[in-house]
Amino acid sequence: MGEPKIQSPVERAPNDETVLPLSRVRVIMKSSMDTELITNEVLFLMTKCTELFVRHLAGKAYVEASRQKSSETMEYKHLSQLVNKSKNLEFLLQILPEKIRVHKFQEMLRLNRFAGSDSSSSESGSESDG
Amino acid sequence: MVERIEDLNLPNAVIARLIKESLPDSASVSKEARGAIARAASVFAIFVTSSSTALAHKQNHKTITAKDILQTLAELDFESFVPSLTEDLEVYRKMVKDKKESKANKKDTSSSENANASSTAVAEEAIE
Repeated sequence: MGEPKIQSPVERAPNDETVLPLSRVRVIMKSSMDTELITNEVLFLMTKCTELFVRHLAGKAYVEASRQKSSETMEYKHLSQLVNKSKNLEFLLQILPEKIRVHKFQEMLRLNRFAGSDSSSSESGSESDG
Repeated sequence: MVERIEDLNLPNAVIARLIKESLPDSASVSKEARGAIARAASVFAIFVTSSSTALAHKQNHKTITAKDILQTLAELDFESFVPSLTEDLEVYRKMVKDKKESKANKKDTSSSENANASSTAVAEEAIE
């Protein structure tokens, strides 16, 4: 019947095991901070936190997919639609943009032309250092 | 150091497993969606790290702590994550503590049999 069964982000006992590789999470963290020091505890927490985020995002996107009852398959568009309407996922807008058809984009471009002509469509500004 | 952008990717197999675990058995996920979730996870980690770093700096701390991360999550509208992460953290801290204690115990019991520098130093002190 209609109601899709959604498991709430799977009941798990609290534990100290991580499935994502700590070393990789450390590299990711280092890429966005100026200090080198990351304690083991912080690394553990960030890894757990990222795992939780994957579960959260997948679960929510699946709800989106089953609401549209097309099938039981979660597609990219379900993710991008979810990102578009969730305030706490705003930071993903550029990473998971909604796809649009070319003719629609061309229409948008045409409409935009009135609004100002300084939108940069050329890639002339590439600086090449030796 | 990040030399290539791929260094920021999380392993696909692990991401796939995490996704599978959080969905009903009948669900399937397109390859494109799986890749997108993996990318989103990397960006999420970067986002939380830089926000936590900013929070730590605001409090004149140089390094981020677990507390900074939990507080940042709440500020970023992910407070639903905080309770279970707090529990995980407690288990982790207990594990670290237990490890330390068992190590200390081992040292105590084995000091008589292994004649390394530290135990002879202790012996010398005892003689004095």
